[in-house]
Amino acid sequence: MDLIHEGKVKRVLQDPDSSERVIIEFTDLVTAGDGAKKEEFAGKGAVACDMSEYLFGYLEGKGIDTHYVKKLSANQILCQKVTIIPIEVVCRNIAAGSFCRRYGTEKGTRLSEPLIEFFLKDDAYHDPLITVDAIIRLELAKREDLDFMKSIALSVNYYLGELLKQRNLVLVDFKLEFGRTEKGTIVLADELSPDTFRIWDSSATSMDKDVFREDKGDLVATYLKVFEEMKKAKPQDVEPRTESIQVIVETKSGIKNPPGEVTKKALERLGFADVKDVRMGKVFTIALKKPITSEILNQLAIMNVKLLSNPISENHKVRIE
Amino acid sequence: MTIAVLRFPGTNNENDVLRALSLIDGADPVLVPSRKGLAGLEEADAIVIPGGFSYGDYLRAGAVASVETITEGVRNLAEDGKPIIGICNGFQILTEMGLLPGVLLPNKSARFICKWIYLKVCDNTTMFTEGMEGRVIRVPIAHAEGNYYCSDDERESLKDELRIPFKYCNEAGDLDDAFNPNGSIDNIAGIINQKGNVLGMMPHPDRAYRPILGSSDGLAILENFVRAIK
Repeated sequence: MDLIHEGKVKRVLQDPDSSERVIIEFTDLVTAGDGAKKEEFAGKGAVACDMSEYLFGYLEGKGIDTHYVKKLSANQILCQKVTIIPIEVVCRNIAAGSFCRRYGTEKGTRLSEPLIEFFLKDDAYHDPLITVDAIIRLELAKREDLDFMKSIALSVNYYLGELLKQRNLVLVDFKLEFGRTEKGTIVLADELSPDTFRIWDSSATSMDKDVFREDKGDLVATYLKVFEEMKKAKPQDVEPRTESIQVIVETKSGIKNPPGEVTKKALERLGFADVKDVRMGKVFTIALKKPITSEILNQLAIMNVKLLSNPISENHKVRIE
Repeated sequence: MTIAVLRFPGTNNENDVLRALSLIDGADPVLVPSRKGLAGLEEADAIVIPGGFSYGDYLRAGAVASVETITEGVRNLAEDGKPIIGICNGFQILTEMGLLPGVLLPNKSARFICKWIYLKVCDNTTMFTEGMEGRVIRVPIAHAEGNYYCSDDERESLKDELRIPFKYCNEAGDLDDAFNPNGSIDNIAGIINQKGNVLGMMPHPDRAYRPILGSSDGLAILENFVRAIK
């Protein structure tokens, strides 16, 4: 099998049976601090593989598109071939790790709302934090792609958090990676394991890679314990996360907009002399029954043309809240 | 010769249309509520979509009605070459369906306009204007979204293919911008499809069919429509 990519703890191999699929092989290696600390733990690859299989399946069941196809062996999963978007999406519920070092926040401080951060996936520069505008200027991803990834990260945060909560575990933070399929849709990729999440028990004891980072105990035993707990949770008891998207419809420029014009006149009468132009449009807030997926975005495009806007005179844009 | 007069929730000119058509020999107008779907049009030889405020004009005038199941039947009859007229909201529904090009935008004044206007009938003969070529007729309008707009390409096609039977004008038939009540491009008040069997018009021939109403000029349009039913 041809090696496509050799990561720090995983290998990506070409599936000999299909050019559209790859095999992801989990090794027993664990690294921290950008590879500065590195060790091998027998059985770690297998548990990361098992947990990824379990969680990708769980999230797919909740309507989130992932690259996962099936498990092949103890440490291999078959996945759709995707082009990885070079942005790591981090979601934080509680301050820990680099967030505390960056801002001096005390570890364990609960954030008022989940926080999404983007990091550039580039070892040579130590995966730096990157702003949305920089991502767009560097043409690494488009704004709508980032909105989409952010929305998926918040869905994953909800579904994973609720599952762990059933077992009195706390989802502190996690990192996701996304890939683009040949059809152009964005799916959740990489792995889902305690290598990429922080999970605490009710007494704020780490149940993740921090055990290794901080030399606090048996890593593989900890991973197995988290996995056992996860499997005891009931996915069917987690309610669907309802999401809303907004569709904004505006009259095309160059087409008169009488409602805007009369509004402008009324504003002038009230003394707002600096108003140069007003154009009135419409906003549709659409609540969805399930998380936003690429398929739903495609449906929205059709919805817009078929009903919500008249393409002859109006433009539309979709905003993910 | 069954003429289906469609009624969507919010249509309110169906009785005007039924009464006007009942004066014409050979016409057999039948009220068809849109909820009847495709079955409602099984016997139809022609269709009138009257004015009103289908679905409260929410979203855009005519937009919600344009995706009802019964519109598939309208489309089929249009393809078969059967005569179809959309008046006012009916015109808006036909453009939203894509059976006629363009769109009816809010009036230039942003107000609802209800008044008598004059229309210049085109010189070329169409299914709906036979015997009226070049005449000036007097009919009322009553709409908030009658400002006809289409792309430059469509505008050229409409002109080249002689598909503009009615334009707003004054009593003398002058097509000046001053006699354009709503901002429509080229003073367009009504258009037909390429086949010539589907007419959409903002003014109301159904409110001008006897002298006591103020004008009987609209009757000729409806008579032509009935005569065209084969």
